[in-house]
Amino acid sequence: MKRKRIKKTFTLLLASTTLLALMLSGCGGKSAGDVAPAGEGDTGKSASSGDAVTITHYTIDSEDRTFIEKLIPDFEAKHPNIKVKVEKAPYEQFDSKLQTMIAGGKSPDVTSHYGYGGFAEYYNKDMLLDLNDIIKEDGFKASDYNIPDDLMKIYTIKDQVYGIPVNMYVTLMLYNKDMFDAANLPYPPSDYEDKSWTFDKMVEDAKKLTHVSDDIAKTQYGVDFTWSERDMRPLYFGVEPYSQDTWTNGGVPSETHFDSPEVMATYNKLYDLIFKDKVSPTTEWSKSVAGQNGDAFVTGKLGMSIGGSWNLAGSNDFPFKVGVAAVPAGGNDKVRSVLFVDPLFILKGSKHPKEAFEWIKYLVSDEVQEKSIELSGGNPPVNTKAAEAYYKHFDGIDPADVKKVYEGAVKYGFESYNHLITNYSQINDMFINEMQPLDTGHKTVEEVMPTVQKKVMEIIKRK
Amino acid sequence: MSTIPAAGPQAPSSPIRSRRKIDGVRIASFIALIVTTFLMLLPLFFMVSTSLKSKKELLKFPPSFLPESWQWSNYKEIFETLNFGQMYMNSLIIGVLTVVGTLLSSALAAYGFARYRGKGNNLWFMLMLSTMMLPYPAIMIPQFILFSKLNWLDTFLPLVVPAFFGSAYNIFLLRQFFSTLPEELFDAGRIDGCSELRMWRQIALPLSGPALATVAIFAFIYSWNDLLTPVLYLSSSDKFTLPVGMSSFTSSRFRIPPWHLLMVASVLAMLPIVTLFAIAQKRFVEGIVLTGIK
Repeated sequence: MKRKRIKKTFTLLLASTTLLALMLSGCGGKSAGDVAPAGEGDTGKSASSGDAVTITHYTIDSEDRTFIEKLIPDFEAKHPNIKVKVEKAPYEQFDSKLQTMIAGGKSPDVTSHYGYGGFAEYYNKDMLLDLNDIIKEDGFKASDYNIPDDLMKIYTIKDQVYGIPVNMYVTLMLYNKDMFDAANLPYPPSDYEDKSWTFDKMVEDAKKLTHVSDDIAKTQYGVDFTWSERDMRPLYFGVEPYSQDTWTNGGVPSETHFDSPEVMATYNKLYDLIFKDKVSPTTEWSKSVAGQNGDAFVTGKLGMSIGGSWNLAGSNDFPFKVGVAAVPAGGNDKVRSVLFVDPLFILKGSKHPKEAFEWIKYLVSDEVQEKSIELSGGNPPVNTKAAEAYYKHFDGIDPADVKKVYEGAVKYGFESYNHLITNYSQINDMFINEMQPLDTGHKTVEEVMPTVQKKVMEIIKRK
Repeated sequence: MSTIPAAGPQAPSSPIRSRRKIDGVRIASFIALIVTTFLMLLPLFFMVSTSLKSKKELLKFPPSFLPESWQWSNYKEIFETLNFGQMYMNSLIIGVLTVVGTLLSSALAAYGFARYRGKGNNLWFMLMLSTMMLPYPAIMIPQFILFSKLNWLDTFLPLVVPAFFGSAYNIFLLRQFFSTLPEELFDAGRIDGCSELRMWRQIALPLSGPALATVAIFAFIYSWNDLLTPVLYLSSSDKFTLPVGMSSFTSSRFRIPPWHLLMVASVLAMLPIVTLFAIAQKRFVEGIVLTGIK
């Protein structure tokens, strides 16, 4: 009996040790960025002339991204020694697949930050190839491609260029013309220089547009002010939550100020729109009316909606007349709009960086940028010449308005934080979770922000 | 009033069996069951109803139960929007192969674990169970490297071949079932000169209908719904499976996701699973009846 018991204990011990060893081998170890497989060897050399080289462009499996497949025949005709393959993934799996491919030695050559992660995450995980040498050898000049220098600066860290801008979205206001007509209100202006268009004036207009009743079908709200992501919103009112060195050191803030009185005042001003002025719907109301994505504007129940210009893309299908207007002035005379510039970058694991760069140059050239507007269904080009064609793209919206809104946004814009700050997807998730009681009115800003401040510093310190 | 079925057939020879009474308790429980069934079926009903709505009707609030006009054309539109037929076939092929592989390998391994009391049997069994503890992200990258070196990327092989190497959960399930089979059957087989493999095939498997049916259902559903593995390994559009194709519906291309098309896809995607369950369920009942008579 005793011998059997000893045997049993021994067996259990052995099994649990083996189990522990298995578990330990699973965690820890190198991150995807470090696992540089054998493929790294010939990154420096380009393919010998005469051999066809295949480069992979990795993007989201969605027609507004995969339209580039239609451009491939033209490109391959112009560059007979380069073949282009498009690798796709759904949005939620974009980052996982990318990390797996890189770790597995099958790194794509060209991609952009189409998933949750932003440029800063890719940069800090050491995934991006520094393009300075290629640019010098090639003689590439942004001005030749009508790309504004300001936009090139966004993805240049410490004088090294990591990304070439290809698309630029801005934050703008969409408004429901039918609702304004019914309330006999003048349309909001598209001119950023119009001094009368302020945040307070917007709230005034919103009050006239808001009718709340027990019958959901009759209820409508004046405005939905979704200006960028939660952590960036204080900037609209002129308060900076991240220290200035963030924008020059590759996205690692040394200090954050989310629990300062100034920052908390800005969040209070925004939540007052829902709870005090009552001109904005609660998130529950938006979700119940418009589904999980909660975009109530599309259902025609919202007068004004501040959001990214990708919202324009579906506007031809809306069951009401749509207009574009400038984001009102809120206290920051330098920043009123958020820029979302998507860059193309070459990954470090690429075996054919020179050929990859040819493909990038092709995509940002004048005529391809113009063609891409139609093919993609309305992606805004970064090329200023092609932009003229973009402004005309939307039925029922005056191209002059679109142009004024875009140019004003560039003049008074700042690049979105999600492209510039490290570990941003974790920061964003944390903000969404911690600030959720604010959306429902269960907690106050003063109760929530100290926790947010503590957690954000923890996340930033993580590698 | 209520249409309760008449009391069940009375066993003429059994004096102990009492007549089933139609009383308040039975009526109440019957009503409770009907209400619960109705609630369970409501999402299904809504799914089919949405699949027949037109695009404009999707945005209506409050949402309507029945479509205003029945858009049967949606069922044609899905084939034009996505490469639906091809993706369906791909998913089916992968699903069927996965089930075959899982059943074969798991039944063999489970038989070994159940019937052999050798040295270290428990140790190996626990080791195998411990592989269940590894989360997929932990093995995702090494597995990808393995398949990439084998040049199996962009084929169905990485999705199907691992099924032929056993699945811990299913081995566990089948092993528990096999160990309940009476030893006498196998002794009888051995006396008659059966080899072990033959005993597995002709004694153990036929008696394991319900357990095998369960494993088949689990394996099929898992493979049918799997999104991450096909995304990792497949790059050509003509090889995509249903989940991969349907995921593009919630992408940025559509400002308002085309719920009507997504529901059509879901209704069609549901059919094989319902069919499989209907077939397997028969086996379930057969199995229960068999054991009852024994």
